[in-house]
Amino acid sequence: MIGPLSLCVLGPLLLAALCLVPVRAGLPRWLAAAGSLLTTVVGGLALADFAGHPGADFRFVEAWSWSRYYGASFGLGIDGIGAAMLLLSGLVTLTATIAAFDQQRAPRVYHALVLLLLAAVNCVFTAQDLLLFYVGWELVLVPMLFLIGVFGGEQRRYAALKFFVFTLAGSVAMLALLLALWNATPPGMAKSFDLQQLAANWQVWRDSPFLGGSLAQFGFLAVLLACLVKLPAVPLHTWLPHAHVQAPTSVSVLLAGVLLKLGVYGLLRIALPLFPGMAIASAPLLAVLGTVGILWGALVALGQRDLKRLVAYASVSHMGFCLLALANLTAAGATAAVVQAFAHGLVSPLLFLLVGVVYERAHHRDLDRFGGLAQPMPHFAWFLLFGALAGCALPGLAGFVGEFAALQSGFVAGAPFAACSAVATLAPVLAAAYLLSAYRRVATGPLRHAEHANFADLGAREWAALLPLAVLIVLLGVWPRPLFAAVGESCAVLVQHVLGARP
Amino acid sequence: MTPSSLPPLLVAVPFAAAVLSALLPWRRAALAHWLATAAMAIDTGLAVWLAIGVVGSGTPVHGAHAMWLPLGALELGIGTFADPMGAIMAVIVCALATLVLAFNTWYMHDDARAARFPWQFCGFAAAMLGIVVSDNLFLSFVCWELVGLGSYLLIGFWADRPAASLDPDYQANKHPGARGVVESRLSPAMAQLKAFVMNRVGDAAFLLGIGALLALAQASGHTGAVLGFADVGGWTNGADQVVFLGLSGKSLAILAALGVFGGAVGKSAQFPLHTWLPDAMQGPTTASAIIHAATMVAAGVFLVARCYPLFPPEALQVVGWTGGITCLLTASIACVQWDLKAVLAYSTCSQLGLMFVALGAGAENGGLVAGIAHLFTHATFKCLLFLCAAAVIHACHGHQDLHRMGGLWRKMPVTAAASGLAVLAITGAPFGSGFFSKDAVLAAALEHAQHDGGAAWGPFVLACAGSLLTGAYMLRWWLSVFAGRARDAAVVDHAHDPSAVAKFVLVALMPCTLALPWTAGGWLDRALRSLPPGTLVPGDEANAAHGTAALVAMLLLAVGAAAALLLFAGDAARGRAARLAAALRPLHAFCAELWFVDRAWDRLWRRGAGEQVPAAAARVDLGSAERLQALEHAGARPRSWSLDGLVDGLGGACRRLGRLGSLAHNGHLGGYLAAASVLAAAVVLWGLLW
Repeated sequence: MIGPLSLCVLGPLLLAALCLVPVRAGLPRWLAAAGSLLTTVVGGLALADFAGHPGADFRFVEAWSWSRYYGASFGLGIDGIGAAMLLLSGLVTLTATIAAFDQQRAPRVYHALVLLLLAAVNCVFTAQDLLLFYVGWELVLVPMLFLIGVFGGEQRRYAALKFFVFTLAGSVAMLALLLALWNATPPGMAKSFDLQQLAANWQVWRDSPFLGGSLAQFGFLAVLLACLVKLPAVPLHTWLPHAHVQAPTSVSVLLAGVLLKLGVYGLLRIALPLFPGMAIASAPLLAVLGTVGILWGALVALGQRDLKRLVAYASVSHMGFCLLALANLTAAGATAAVVQAFAHGLVSPLLFLLVGVVYERAHHRDLDRFGGLAQPMPHFAWFLLFGALAGCALPGLAGFVGEFAALQSGFVAGAPFAACSAVATLAPVLAAAYLLSAYRRVATGPLRHAEHANFADLGAREWAALLPLAVLIVLLGVWPRPLFAAVGESCAVLVQHVLGARP
Repeated sequence: MTPSSLPPLLVAVPFAAAVLSALLPWRRAALAHWLATAAMAIDTGLAVWLAIGVVGSGTPVHGAHAMWLPLGALELGIGTFADPMGAIMAVIVCALATLVLAFNTWYMHDDARAARFPWQFCGFAAAMLGIVVSDNLFLSFVCWELVGLGSYLLIGFWADRPAASLDPDYQANKHPGARGVVESRLSPAMAQLKAFVMNRVGDAAFLLGIGALLALAQASGHTGAVLGFADVGGWTNGADQVVFLGLSGKSLAILAALGVFGGAVGKSAQFPLHTWLPDAMQGPTTASAIIHAATMVAAGVFLVARCYPLFPPEALQVVGWTGGITCLLTASIACVQWDLKAVLAYSTCSQLGLMFVALGAGAENGGLVAGIAHLFTHATFKCLLFLCAAAVIHACHGHQDLHRMGGLWRKMPVTAAASGLAVLAITGAPFGSGFFSKDAVLAAALEHAQHDGGAAWGPFVLACAGSLLTGAYMLRWWLSVFAGRARDAAVVDHAHDPSAVAKFVLVALMPCTLALPWTAGGWLDRALRSLPPGTLVPGDEANAAHGTAALVAMLLLAVGAAAALLLFAGDAARGRAARLAAALRPLHAFCAELWFVDRAWDRLWRRGAGEQVPAAAARVDLGSAERLQALEHAGARPRSWSLDGLVDGLGGACRRLGRLGSLAHNGHLGGYLAAASVLAAAVVLWGLLW
């Protein structure tokens, strides 16, 4: 019996194959919409279930044996964190599909790749088995490589290659060490890739020698590297601006909305539970990394002339909050990291969509060559202001919930984290400066160029992509409790498990 | 019995009005205005109902409270309550908002975008009322930021206007001696950005303060809802046993208080973050009328008063000094401004400084009550002053130069009378409302100085100097606009009083400039008595400094007013003023240059955190502009030292290594054979030797 989760993983795969059948050119986009809608519905129902009945258990569990020898299974299941991420992946993919509804160039291939990406991402977010997780993790790269490398801008191949090599280099070491982990299973125990069993065995990795250190040390470093590249954490972030600048709008939406979340999710699902001792030891370092990312991303964003690159660096800054919150190893912090990831997954796509709107009309993104666009495009200007305010953490919008919770969880978590949070309070100042001055340079003042007066305001497709995100940003900003309730228990148990390794 | 649903309703009504007037497609802006005005009038009624109940009984009304954000064992909630201070503040906010909206129907009757004003204005008022009735510091912070958004929208009401340096109107109308302002960075769009970012600087401190308080709560074992205003003193309970980040609990409490005050410095435009407020004059004058009176700037003072038990004497000293410095600095700038509105803007900063001087004097010296009383009275007369300024600017076809007006009292008698009363109030003339509250401020500061001596004299002396100048510059303002003869016929010839509705608004505000409505039956004293224990009310026998302070205030007013009359009443006097300015040229220039604070900020922004540092960071991250150019478009990528260049370098090194390896694999059979034979020989040799 196929459950809802395997539907989310296998459904998009099937739909992707259907996309390639040359029947009607208009069909693939509806298939992509159907696949993402399916994920949205399942993710939404699961999240509602967790919000209504909070708990740290895994639900919708399915398991088929995959390889008896390796003890690997096609095991799926989600807790609150997974449910939130699944919902996000559905929502963002739906948005990206709407944004690319008029895709002219090779729509079949394009939508098939999007569906393949969706399947891979859903596989990561629902996997209960480390091998399956890894398969999804690496499978994500393939469609993304082609989405950027084929459908991107002038330097698309350079950007795609950089993205691919960066993320692959991050995760090959992970594969090697996962195999080493499996191999180190104590003699009496059945070898398995089951995540919960692996997490329960954390002491084994700690005590197994490996290359002059312990297996846990190397394993943690490998997973950490893989996740930090995806997150991305400074200084491993320089693939991001290229990928975003070269990617078409809808792919940027996917990249910012879903792909970066894999980093947070990997840290929460693999790095922390499997190597709790290492997590505790490196927590202050992670907090510092997060803070550096927050401030560095914000500073560089402030120094950009290219609107899209500015939004990309804003992502670096905002994702730094996830790392900062996660590092303090409290239930509040882990919850804040998930909420911030979710919020960023709504806000950043909105901003990228708006960049796309203006790029489609002006064919450039140079902030110094805009001005006064609020006159021909008032609705666009309001959306841009809305996105900028959401990005600079205005209360009542989603960005505030995540950032505020992240900062304050640091303050209550003890010395090194409080110090990092104190430094990071500068970020909202900088965020207001770079996002609102981007708004100023694009939308306000007198009209800079006469031909800009003919720009059409938002069309139906653009409204359809923007409005749901905006509504959700307000909803999450005004009433975040359901999300906190759904995610909180899982985070609490996870943190409890990690802190159990404290000497 | 006062219903507990009143405090949340106070926020809900203007919010609903804002949503409604934003979403409905109004064919006529006046309709949207009247809807909003009606909503605010209803809200005023509710506020009065609440105030009568709360002030009468002296007990706060608590609305519903809900948990909003779990934070480990702690919970941040949202909820409302109203004590006498909050209830009176709510009445003032609502009443002034109603009047300003009504006035605005006339003021914007020919503005194409007028329909935008009501919803932004109502949203702004709703956010401010949120601060007023919020029952905890967290919700206050939320509303605090939303107030910032409201001001952002209103200041940028005409955001499509160009910078002053490119604006022909501005260039034609400005006073020849205008200086101090960076004209290329003076536009509504810039002003709204500046206001928001400057406020965010203060808010970073506020966030830090909240963080310190939460850390204290966590460390001293609190659980559940925290930061409620019902028990501000309890926030730092148990701080003595806590050591955090190398700080003792006591220093942490001081840090928290200073953090909250940092937020207030931003919102209430205190030195050194005050420069956004004069720039905010780029917005509609009616928006200024509310920003400078009952919302936004009032929020800072209100919040410090709300959290008063949190402030230890060390923090209060900072509050007092900041207020004193701002009071004198901005008053001296106001003396030399040529712009009608700028004088009022700087006077707002100065008066807010005075309130902080009072708050800094400590509750036991009557400072808290004096500060709040001055907040209330100032709100009404400053609102009136700005509405009068709006009427004058409208009458003078947008001209704002004081030097080109004069003689308007004949053409605009109602406006002249209203602003005259307001000027008397702000200068602290007897029987004016300012006399009642400013006297209390000086008394508190004096009492504090006499008690503590030493540094405590600073705020008092600065406040006195500021008050002296207040008399001078406000009379200069009124005399320049209304008295004497018309100096520029083109500006003033067709001037007339505003429409009936607008005149009604001015007249309705006139009684509030008198002391009587505030002191009748001592209702305000009685109401404010319910403030935290240890608070003395001005007029109590215990406050011995009262008589002295009144005397000092009168003396300062007399000197200031005499100076203004000598220098600005009539043409001969204006000649004297010019000669005096010439004689004191360095001082005059220093004040006209705004004490170089604006320039310092501008420089800091361009040379530092705003432009140069980010540009350098961007270079370090992705490399030079040429490299960026090449990264976007096809072509060779120039080498440039940067993080990203380093990655490319690593990639290049790998490629070169590969190329080195591929040299051997060139497909020439001879080469392969040669290599194979050398290798074979080596193996054989190795076998033979070992």
